[in-house]
Amino acid sequence: MSEMWINMGPQHPMTHGLWNLRVRIEGEIILDADPEMGYLHRGIEKISEDRHYNEIITLMDRTCYVAGIAWEHLYIQAAEQALHVTPPERAEYIRVLTEEMQRLASHIMWYAAFVQDLGLMSPFLYGMRDRDLLLDIFQSFTGGRLTYEYMRVGGVRNDLPPGTTAQVRQTMDWLMDRFVEYDRLCLGSDIFRRRCDDIGVLKANDCVTYGVTGPMLRAAGVARDLRKDRPYAVYDQLEFDVARADSADVTGRYLVRLQEMRQSVRILRQVVDWLDGHPGPVMAEHVPRWLGAPYAPIGREGYLVKRSYPKGLGFSAIEEPHGEAAAYVVNEGGEHPYRVKFRSPVFVNLSAVKKYLVGYRVADIPPILGSVDVCVGEVDR
Amino acid sequence: MASSEMKERRTEGPSSALWIAKPLATAARQFLKSLVRPSTIVYPFERLEDPQFRDRVRVASGEPIGIGRVWDNYRGVHALNIATCISCNLCAFSCPDLCIDMVTVPGGDPKHPKKCPQIDYGKCSYCGFCSDACPEGCLTMTTRYELATSKRSEMVFSPQQLYEVFERKLPMNPIRLERPENEDAILLEGPLCIGCNACARDCPTQCITMLDIPKPTAKPGERLPKRIWKEPVINDSDCVRCGTCISVCPKECLFWGTHP
Repeated sequence: MSEMWINMGPQHPMTHGLWNLRVRIEGEIILDADPEMGYLHRGIEKISEDRHYNEIITLMDRTCYVAGIAWEHLYIQAAEQALHVTPPERAEYIRVLTEEMQRLASHIMWYAAFVQDLGLMSPFLYGMRDRDLLLDIFQSFTGGRLTYEYMRVGGVRNDLPPGTTAQVRQTMDWLMDRFVEYDRLCLGSDIFRRRCDDIGVLKANDCVTYGVTGPMLRAAGVARDLRKDRPYAVYDQLEFDVARADSADVTGRYLVRLQEMRQSVRILRQVVDWLDGHPGPVMAEHVPRWLGAPYAPIGREGYLVKRSYPKGLGFSAIEEPHGEAAAYVVNEGGEHPYRVKFRSPVFVNLSAVKKYLVGYRVADIPPILGSVDVCVGEVDR
Repeated sequence: MASSEMKERRTEGPSSALWIAKPLATAARQFLKSLVRPSTIVYPFERLEDPQFRDRVRVASGEPIGIGRVWDNYRGVHALNIATCISCNLCAFSCPDLCIDMVTVPGGDPKHPKKCPQIDYGKCSYCGFCSDACPEGCLTMTTRYELATSKRSEMVFSPQQLYEVFERKLPMNPIRLERPENEDAILLEGPLCIGCNACARDCPTQCITMLDIPKPTAKPGERLPKRIWKEPVINDSDCVRCGTCISVCPKECLFWGTHP
């Protein structure tokens, strides 16, 4: 049988966004794979050089549209380091609360999209339904459902309104029951297991070689989690376990994400307990006026005339729902950062596609790539 | 060749007689629940802001959950109270998308035309920075969210249209930010000032007054600078920190700082 290249994408339902996967096939067998990214490039890093430090937050929400607040957290940590601002502890806890809720929302979104790739419609609807409850909580204190614009240099925009922590507790109890349901629907189904077991295997040493991080790495048996290994914000004061699986295949990634969601619930319960007992300010004092905190940044020019302020570099790395993301902010002493650079975990995970796709069949591509949790907005930035 | 490259995978048959019964039973339970109390609403006929959904908590598959009155906080179309707008430009300055233009509205005197924001919703990202920056609280975000139109020009809302939204008295974002106590003030570097009155003329709150300063007597052989012998004095309690005076100052003698 003759070989041929086929394009899966850039507008294929499997791709979850705009990117093109070229695969060389012989019959059903994949012989080669070649990812083509760049269809969704918006130049976010370049635009950031022309925006105030706080204005970049609006771009961060649009970098990854399913994990917006995790990217806000990533950027704001680097920006605060570059600007020599320390947020109050309550703001740090609120940030952790939002990040873990975002991780839950992102993983539930992944679950919904992944099972739909397998052709299962009911779990998709259940996933979207459950995610909506988290978005409702987000909306109650940020005002947005997907693009939150909540964090500011020096803290967060506003404190949680009364009743939010009780709401989070209620939702967490409800979600824990739903996770059991998810497992019944997927792991309890032999059809699911036969489609997902032993495909897309990426062993631990290959993960390390390619720089693959996040649930894919943990599914290969490596307990690597930046929240544990390089604690940021207040993660060193919270108790949780790193989810891990040993099979390194699609089922392993499913198990890791489900386990991570349960750990996020565990973290969230600790965080809301802390928040209930420790009222306080959510914005640092003595944030320079030209940063606009706690407002939006105001004024486009003329604000820094005759003022001196320290220069600085900021680097931060967080465990984003998809993997390890990093940000680098250079403050050369202007109203805008001199340079902003992001590391996208999904870009790296997708770049190794040849390693975990070759040798499987064409029908295995949707489950394998679904298990990667592709977010093209963050790949191309 | 190809078959030899194929990776190993599970090939045995169903693990038990109940191999699909478990997920089917779960789905069937959800289906029966949704018949009694559905998780969805029939959107064009029912809306989330309707009283039965607004004041009650959200319903998901039978269990009441979610926050009641979530809509108060939503960042939707702006409402503008033209009467209290002071034309300070802060909303337009703070907009990351540059979608706000200040346009003249009737009501100002010819010397100081009143300018209010006109918002292009084709560009707006609903970040809420403008309503956060508004010192008078006259530009707020409401819960209105339906903007579908067939003409691009209809996405541009003039101040009058924004005022119509205000008149509908929709719920507005209850979380307002308070100004910090240690706010920077606008300071003057006296020797550079030429007394040109530009800052006092353009100040939206009229909080700058030009006061006379004594004209120094020239020493023999020294030439006094050509200037008007007046200097601006800023009333900090009325100042909204919009920075208009800084941007119009031709000599860059106004700047942000803290009072010594």
